[in-house]
Amino acid sequence: MAYDLFLGCVIPARLPYLEVSSRKVFKKLGIELRDVDGFSCCPDPTGIELIDHETWLALGARNLSLCNNNGGVISFCSGCVETLKGVNYFINKDVDAKQKVNKYLKKIGKKYEGKTEVKHFAQVLYENLEKVKENIEKPLEGFKVAIHYGCHYLRPSEVIQWDDPFEPVTLDEIVRTLGAESIQYELKMECCGNPLDKSDRDLSLQMIDNKLKAIYEAGANCVVVVCPACYQQFEFNQRELNKKNNSEYNIPIFYLSELMALSFGFKPEELGFNFHRIKPKGLFESIGFNV
Amino acid sequence: MSVVNYDFRNEVLKHNASLSYCYQCSTCSGGCPVALLTNGKYNPRKIIEEAILGLKDKLVESQDPNPWLCSTCQKCVELCPQKVELTEIFTLIKNLCFEEQKYPEAFYSQGKAVYDTGVAIPYSNSIVARRKKLGLPEIKIASVEEIQTLMKETNFEKNILRGNE
Repeated sequence: MAYDLFLGCVIPARLPYLEVSSRKVFKKLGIELRDVDGFSCCPDPTGIELIDHETWLALGARNLSLCNNNGGVISFCSGCVETLKGVNYFINKDVDAKQKVNKYLKKIGKKYEGKTEVKHFAQVLYENLEKVKENIEKPLEGFKVAIHYGCHYLRPSEVIQWDDPFEPVTLDEIVRTLGAESIQYELKMECCGNPLDKSDRDLSLQMIDNKLKAIYEAGANCVVVVCPACYQQFEFNQRELNKKNNSEYNIPIFYLSELMALSFGFKPEELGFNFHRIKPKGLFESIGFNV
Repeated sequence: MSVVNYDFRNEVLKHNASLSYCYQCSTCSGGCPVALLTNGKYNPRKIIEEAILGLKDKLVESQDPNPWLCSTCQKCVELCPQKVELTEIFTLIKNLCFEEQKYPEAFYSQGKAVYDTGVAIPYSNSIVARRKKLGLPEIKIASVEEIQTLMKETNFEKNILRGNE
């Protein structure tokens, strides 16, 4: 099965090391990802869509019109997935919107019928869990993982059509399959607060502070995320919160693909762990995980 | 004093008729993480109430409650017993705020970046070098001309960008 790969903006242009582990995992599983030329910003469902819905629809439909309809298109970013699924949702439920968008696309010689299937990379990993099992060389013993599903991986469920919007299971099952423990914590289903950074920095920090507190209280030793906005929110703000509140947050944040790559036997240096602000080396040593 | 603006009310209803299903039960606000943190200063139920009443001056001019404080977590939409499409309605309100130049600056910066380059985060030289070092392929992004043609067609350039220069 081959998928077109929609990278979006944040991962390739700011966090390329997350792209490294994601590509490696898919290659190891024998799932082909095809790079496609000419994509723009998805556009951001927490940015451009809020400025002008019609522009968001038109640019999103243009991106989808470039896909070749192999197994559909996948993305490593929950925001991109929400946008691309959302564009399909609006185009398929509203004939006027579809006509309007295609009137715009015609100006650049393109058209889009609303038929390209969109999947989150974690969905594809879940659908290939048997293959994942076969590739595990080093079960992640000692990893006490606080899973952060994030909002846009699940909701709005009518658009996303994947997992339960309030009691999801897919990431828990993947993490357990890798040999790690999924730690239950208060506020597990809360938003990380990243989108609020654009309008109210303090509020955004308060949201992530509350989550981190709950994660520490539950005794987790790392966090796993499946969205680059959540990743930045968790990883980039710990130091600032410590300065502000005299807290001592220092918990490694992993992308799901990074955890999986570790269990497949990839080395930290192959995965660009040196680019993490909170280095996972201390964790590996403390739990005796031999990398 | 707030004044009912019927044109505004009708415009919201025309875009999303689910607005009229709301019976103000407050389930949305009960599940809203931002309402909790702000002690109800941000309040999705109230935004919907003001939209039903057509209080454009409250929603767009004084922004009370401030619609930009929605974290887009989409919990309210899932919880609503009447299937009111709250976040779609909030998007419409924010789109209208944008037309009237009432928005946090970061949104404009993102729109401008996409208009100028096709992407929200343009590729710096150091990122291009880092990608190469990490063994990642070169990215060929959208033709800016195509993106700008579309953004002119949707009036993004005219309504959104021009007003800010």
